[in-house]
Amino acid sequence: MSFRAFRKTATWKALTFIPLGIVFVKHFYTVKIITGRSMQPTLNPEPCIWRDIVVFDRVSVQTVGKFARGEVVALRSPTNPSDLLVKRIVALEGDVVQTLPPYPEQEVKVPPGHVWLEGDEGFRTIDSNRWGPVPLGLIDSKLTFIVWPPPRFGPLPEPLQRRTGTEESRVWRRGFVEMDREKWRDSRVKKAEDSFTKSSA
Amino acid sequence: MLVDHGSYVQRITLILHNGGIEHVLFSKVNGPSMLPTMSVTGDWVLEENLTTHIPSLRPLKRGDIVVATSPFNPRAHICKRVLGLPGDIICVDPTGEYAPSTEHVLIPKGHLWLVGDNASMSRDSRTYGPVPMALVRGRVIARYWPWKDRTIFGSNVTSLGVI
Repeated sequence: MSFRAFRKTATWKALTFIPLGIVFVKHFYTVKIITGRSMQPTLNPEPCIWRDIVVFDRVSVQTVGKFARGEVVALRSPTNPSDLLVKRIVALEGDVVQTLPPYPEQEVKVPPGHVWLEGDEGFRTIDSNRWGPVPLGLIDSKLTFIVWPPPRFGPLPEPLQRRTGTEESRVWRRGFVEMDREKWRDSRVKKAEDSFTKSSA
Repeated sequence: MLVDHGSYVQRITLILHNGGIEHVLFSKVNGPSMLPTMSVTGDWVLEENLTTHIPSLRPLKRGDIVVATSPFNPRAHICKRVLGLPGDIICVDPTGEYAPSTEHVLIPKGHLWLVGDNASMSRDSRTYGPVPMALVRGRVIARYWPWKDRTIFGSNVTSLGVI
């Protein structure tokens, strides 16, 4: 088949859409499966058969590049550049954080252009308490939307906003525990006043 | 005659994305921190990032010039020379200006020690410590402009005195 004839075929027409797909996935949005337990119970909670599938938002990181405390982000591992890790932003630049055990110092001031990241499951996570503050340049995307499993389909909850359902329901109690966890996390951070990155209310 | 602009745009995107931009970058480097090697006014260099995506093709060596995202500002890029690889023990500053000249660090796994050639005018690993490898955008392989100073940058380990 000549090239001229090949250009008329459906295969050629389909091929022209591949670059659009590549650009969309690399620079706008992508969907990935979460593995590991470091973000329990936000992602991959315990009594669940499936692993979570989540939408990763790259475009807001590459264009606006503003972060808030409490957001869940994906970053390139500082120790292995080929790994993508999921952690929660605890403190922004200028904040003073009270660190947890593996870290040698009691308090750390986050340097400019850095963030303090921690996993939600304190016992099964390797995070800033091991690495120290992480450069913003390592952050690849924000996690925005849970696609799978169906019961938790929806946007990743905003900080302190996940208490739904009636009192005494399982969802309500779980929300209460998570609110406590968020309060504890916030209490360890002394927020900087003049931070250029927007802070969560 | 109708021209299908959509598919032209898509094909050009493919060429730029997978043929050109993605693996070779033509970038301008300026500033005093790499002085004898790069000029202050700005040099145009060829930068490849195929080997940063697939490190097994050619792992970074001591003496390579790399372009990396600045650890202090995610919008800025820095151009520095690799002095230490993971596992190396580096003297932070032999002159004793930024740190006592006896202070040494062990470069952690997945990190690099980056310094500018012009030590007195460079903000580098002496200030911000080891830099994660994931921040490295690409390796500078040649300078093509100004044309009379065209060079191919090898890994000139001997001039650094590193074994």
